[in-house]
Amino acid sequence: MNIVACVKQVPDTEALIKVKPDGSGIDEGGIKWVMSPYDEFGVEEALKTKEKFGGEVTIVSVGPARTMETIRTALAMGAEKAIHIDDPALYNADAYATASALAAAIKDIPHDIIFCGMRAIDDDSGQVGSVLAELLGLPQVTVITKLDIEGQTAKAIKPIEGAQLLIETSLPCVITAQKGLNEPRYASLPGIMKAKKKPVEVKNAGDLGLAVDQKSAVAKMSPPPARPPGKIIQGDDPAAKAAEVIRLLREEAKVI
Amino acid sequence: MAHGTEHVYSVGNEGREVFWNAPFELILFAFTAVAMAIFAYGLYKRWQLWKALGRPEDRTDNAGERIKSLIVNGLFQVKTFKDAYPGIMHALIFFGFFVLIFGAAIDATQFHIGLPFFHGKFYLWFSLTMEIFGLAVLLGVAIALYRRYIEKPDRLGYRGTPDNTADDAIVLVGIGAIIITGFIIEALRLHVNVNEDGFTWGAWSFVGYALSKTFTGIGFDTARILHKWMWWIHTFIVLGLIAYIPWSRLLHIITSSANQYMISLKPKGYLEPIADFENAESFGVGQLEDFTWKQIFDSDACTRCGRCQDGCPAYLTGKPLSPKKVIQDLKTYWLERAPVVHAAKKAAAEGEEPVIPEPEKMMVGEVIDLHELWACTNCMYCMEHCPVCIEHIPKIIGMRQYKVLMEADFAPELQLTYRNMENNSNPWGIGAHLRQDWAAEVGVKTLAEDADVEYLFYVGCSGSFDDRGKKVAIALAKILKEAGVRFGVLGPEEGCCGDSAMRGGNEYLYQIMAQTNIEVMNGYNVKKIITMCPHGYNAIKKDYPHFGGNFEVYHHTEILADLIAQGRIKLKNSVEGTFTYHDSCFLGRYNDVYDQPRNALKAVPGMNLVEMSSCFNKSFCCGAGGARMWMEEDIGERINDVRADQAIAANASTIAVGCPFCLTMMADGIKDRGKEETMEALDIAEIIWEAMGLEEAVPPAEETPSEAPKEETAE
Repeated sequence: MNIVACVKQVPDTEALIKVKPDGSGIDEGGIKWVMSPYDEFGVEEALKTKEKFGGEVTIVSVGPARTMETIRTALAMGAEKAIHIDDPALYNADAYATASALAAAIKDIPHDIIFCGMRAIDDDSGQVGSVLAELLGLPQVTVITKLDIEGQTAKAIKPIEGAQLLIETSLPCVITAQKGLNEPRYASLPGIMKAKKKPVEVKNAGDLGLAVDQKSAVAKMSPPPARPPGKIIQGDDPAAKAAEVIRLLREEAKVI
Repeated sequence: MAHGTEHVYSVGNEGREVFWNAPFELILFAFTAVAMAIFAYGLYKRWQLWKALGRPEDRTDNAGERIKSLIVNGLFQVKTFKDAYPGIMHALIFFGFFVLIFGAAIDATQFHIGLPFFHGKFYLWFSLTMEIFGLAVLLGVAIALYRRYIEKPDRLGYRGTPDNTADDAIVLVGIGAIIITGFIIEALRLHVNVNEDGFTWGAWSFVGYALSKTFTGIGFDTARILHKWMWWIHTFIVLGLIAYIPWSRLLHIITSSANQYMISLKPKGYLEPIADFENAESFGVGQLEDFTWKQIFDSDACTRCGRCQDGCPAYLTGKPLSPKKVIQDLKTYWLERAPVVHAAKKAAAEGEEPVIPEPEKMMVGEVIDLHELWACTNCMYCMEHCPVCIEHIPKIIGMRQYKVLMEADFAPELQLTYRNMENNSNPWGIGAHLRQDWAAEVGVKTLAEDADVEYLFYVGCSGSFDDRGKKVAIALAKILKEAGVRFGVLGPEEGCCGDSAMRGGNEYLYQIMAQTNIEVMNGYNVKKIITMCPHGYNAIKKDYPHFGGNFEVYHHTEILADLIAQGRIKLKNSVEGTFTYHDSCFLGRYNDVYDQPRNALKAVPGMNLVEMSSCFNKSFCCGAGGARMWMEEDIGERINDVRADQAIAANASTIAVGCPFCLTMMADGIKDRGKEETMEALDIAEIIWEAMGLEEAVPPAEETPSEAPKEETAE
């Protein structure tokens, strides 16, 4: 089976995010970059699928040179090869442009099933998997927590409010992974060592015959408003203090 | 023919004829030769098995130190004596036999060459000495039989099932029989010598003499016949046991001594680093041949004495691990594998196709159960107390390395810990940029701000990120400032020491952590380091030198004890309640730091310091070492709860610690036992800062909100 897993490199969830003064993006200094956690579920599912049915896992990622580290992580987990789409025109790409780039790379390689994270934890757009499926003309099942493949049929469980759906589709298809799908593996050391030698094709938009087309752009990035300091209500009379709490909740916080 | 016969024995010229009544016959040489041949053959076969498997390792350098170890622990039995009851038991047999063999050699020399002094006073004292040591052996054997078959201590088994073998009984009965037949021979001889030949000095051989008094009904001729028979029985038992040595537990005479000679001369707790990640094909110990030959040999030196098991925190809290069982299971496996491998190698040497058959059982997972493997806290109790210097922990870590590095098959919670260390250089995974936040209220400079300091205060992850640990770091920083110690920290440039990665088998991650830290430390030309965590202390002190990190490393309790002794800090506030000090394994057993923490505590006015039932090098682990800090503990009792019980039994109101892991574990143990109203766990730095009385800060624990609110709380 030919399996593709798309990954995105994002800042570590614990990283200190500083918005550039001009609002054009974040200050990347001192940031630890990791694979977006939902993409890890996708890679793990891709590897499990390969282990069950045989075949190869190809990693595809869009991003600057540093993205190679994340690609190597996926290769260390057990993927066979990778395509790294590195083009300055795509560095701040929106979901559509990113999905177009992924589609341009994937359409040329055999693909029976494509895994994406259900969203990346940096921009939270949650669209890339869906747009990719549309561009490739494939069915998609998004935000899934369980996957069974039988022959040319994929059966996926998707949790929704108060219920879960069992969705069937035919291969090839695009699957986007939700937490709960699996526990991503820890790369073995031989895996890490071998990953250094696995083939990674680096391509730019030209190589893919892609004219980068953005449907949207981030106009300005600004930090969230600073959290106002907490208040300690002073006084000796508990009743008066309680009354003050109620007053503040009503008048200032406007929650009651 | 014999020289002894030239003497005419009388008062003033006391003596006896060697080979009296049972004359020396050349056939004795033949029997002896057969026994020795069987002994030599057995040893040769064993030698082949020792050589069959394992990677090379040099344990013959520095002969002086090795001979010293052999004399201290082999000849003088120092480690064996550390546990008095079995120590004395073994000493009675060991020293008894040692002297008796020496005596037999004197007898033989007297017979074959002649000893001019073998009569008179010398003879009498010689006889008495032999008598006493013969009795000692008999007493030792009696104690051993009683202990093994009647008292049945748990350590001579596993979870209540004794692991006695037929061999144990044969050896003890055999040794006892040698002595008993020896005394009977002597008694029969004395019966004739005293009553017929008129020897008046028979009572010097008091055991045989007393026994001879019961033979009064036996005629002298009958006594001579019985004596001769008994002499040959005695001789055959002796020769039999000599031949039996390589095939029995008696082999420990050779293997245990050899192990004491081949002792590790490295610092305690030393782990050989994996040298070449890039080119190695496998990592860690997945099968027997991945051990060094010495690691395998260890298991043949084990006498199943069970001292390791007796203090093992995992075993004592109902987990499947017993260090003795690990070593014995490896030995059994080695005895299955080694002959097969030896035969295959021999065939290969003779030109046949070298086919070493695959093992039938997986070593890691089947021979050694994974629950055993991961239960170890690396507390070092087993290694500290093993009388024959077996090294358990490097084997455990080697097998963990295999599971982690080769198979990536280990506890998910530990995987998370490692990812956190990879991404944020701390096990909790808190943002690395927050590492210096603890110091906000103390105002500690980083080396980047001011590198002109005497000490680097390596805070470590607990002091930097754990809310409880931060309080310790703050207390310590305040003390150091008050004492005028010039120190700085690395701040956000500091990284995790990597101890948990190393001991949890992730050597690769550990080396990355270590190298990163060393680069930063060397960049600031750091010479001296203070740590507040014994794990970092041990790693930086002993393991960082491999990677070019050579520093003078001090634990904060060492520094505190010094500052107090020098009068650089004054303790004026007195404390109330009863304190007990919990020895951290990585401070105590690993680094022999036992006194400084206690000295620091004793300097506090009003200090009432008591010891728990397990203390100093017999201290009971808190349960957090060996990466266990980050793992679920779901089998048996919790180790920290059992330790808390010991503190409760000692009537302690405060458990003083010198380790942030221990601090967490002891605080949890106190809570689990519902004692948080009356007990608390504090780091020594917190106790000292409190005693310095410079502020009402460092609230002893969360449950005392009576403290006046300070400006800091406003943030």
